[in-house]
Amino acid sequence: MEFFTNILSIFQEHGTAFLEATWLTVSITAVSLLIATLIGVVVAGLKLSSIKLLNLIADLYIGIIRGTPLIVQIMFLYYGIANFIMLDSFTAGAIALGVHSGAYIAEIFRGAIQSIDKGQLEAARSLGMPTTLAMRRIVFPQAFKRAIPSLGNQFIIGLKDSSLVAYISVTELFNTALSAQGENYMPFETYFVVGIYYLILVLIFTQIMNRVERKFDVNRPKKVKVA
Amino acid sequence: MIQVKQLSKSFADLEVLKNIDLEVEKSEVVVLIGGSGSGKSTLLRCLNFLEIANSGEILLNGKSIDDKTNLNKVREKVGMVFQHFNLFPHKTVLENVMEAPIYVKGVDKQKAKQQALNLLEKVGLKEHVHYYPDHLSGGQKQRVAIARSLAMEPDVMLFDEPTSALDPELVGEVLQVMKNLAEEGMTMIVVTHEMGFAREMADRVIMLADGVIIEEGHPDEFFTNPKHDRTQRFLKQIL
Ligand SMILES: Nc1ncnc2c1ncn2[C@@H]1O[C@H](COP(=O)(O)OP(=O)(O)O)[C@@H](O)[C@H]1O
Ligand SMILES: [Mg+2]
Repeated sequence: MEFFTNILSIFQEHGTAFLEATWLTVSITAVSLLIATLIGVVVAGLKLSSIKLLNLIADLYIGIIRGTPLIVQIMFLYYGIANFIMLDSFTAGAIALGVHSGAYIAEIFRGAIQSIDKGQLEAARSLGMPTTLAMRRIVFPQAFKRAIPSLGNQFIIGLKDSSLVAYISVTELFNTALSAQGENYMPFETYFVVGIYYLILVLIFTQIMNRVERKFDVNRPKKVKVA
Repeated sequence: MIQVKQLSKSFADLEVLKNIDLEVEKSEVVVLIGGSGSGKSTLLRCLNFLEIANSGEILLNGKSIDDKTNLNKVREKVGMVFQHFNLFPHKTVLENVMEAPIYVKGVDKQKAKQQALNLLEKVGLKEHVHYYPDHLSGGQKQRVAIARSLAMEPDVMLFDEPTSALDPELVGEVLQVMKNLAEEGMTMIVVTHEMGFAREMADRVIMLADGVIIEEGHPDEFFTNPKHDRTQRFLKQIL
């Protein structure tokens, strides 16, 4: 019973703060995933290029990002380079998260593109399509569809990883939970509540990704459009 | 129409085609046979430049194709039908056929659609234009692939074992479409093991072995009286 009254008091005390924090979590995640997707496209391109130097650059980037902890990357970007460039905490956090997820998303895109039967590109080229057009019209749409499940997975990881920017004082959900439990001395209930917030965000996001996936599934019978 | 002079192609150390000479006239139907690995696919792929030969010359309509030629333009005029169809699975049958005319030739959408519908009717798939490839049988897929190539109004059509991946009962419908095409005067080079088709439709049969043309002739002569003992053995195997 005490558990429920405690929870209620958390909502009374910190309800507004959690609401604002949710908005920050969602927006820093959205910005970082946008950055990550753009990086992913470019780096996948570098990896698939026939130019050795570009492959090397991509491998170096992916190697460094995967080889170091995200929290180190975040701290580095916020405190580490502060003597050269002072980034505000949101910007530093969004970039760090984006650069981090970008490495994983690059690998997802590369794998998806390579998984498309090379007969597809050949058929397109045999019809007179230049390679770039064939990639854009034939290979990429199929690769993107194939990448959606892994991409959704990576996006959810990105959403949860955004909690680490709490340590550079972005007042997102986890940061808010840290300060709240410092005031109310109810760590059990406070972390329980913030866990629920993340869980709900993840569930909403999963629903959205399921819709996207269905939209790209051409084999699911569609409503027939009457022209 | 097509002239091939002293064409050679290697993959690393493997010499796949050795000094191939070949001439195909307009409206001629040439059937190419030979054992697995003899270079049939590679020869076709060199003819529409999916592979670039190491040496030799290819002339199309009397014009030599060299470094300066836009190969995309050449491929528009050389249609290719693949063993495994290679239809675009994310597009409907109609969209598969309309794709290249619209995005390569810049044909107006409405016009491309009309042309695609006509072609699909011709290959007997009028009822299936809004299907996705995954919902078609192999024979239907291959007929769509043929229509897709024809939509570019090619001068010559290359077929690489177009019926080898099909269940036996579906082979006939694809061969029928190819026969109609031949009768309309399409220039065709066909790699196939369907000797019935070769007997009936071919103007010339060519036997390839280890990247060399070892024998060629009119099917009447070629099948009843093959000269080369490798041809004799090969025909005995597949007949
Ligand atoms: N891209 C390639 N790289 C290396 N070897 C190849 C390639 N394509 C074909 N080959 C080889 O060339 C030979 C001829 O192949 P192919 O033209 O496909 O023969 P066919 O169609 O007559 O069966 C085979 O030994 C094959 O392994
Ligand atoms: Mg072959």
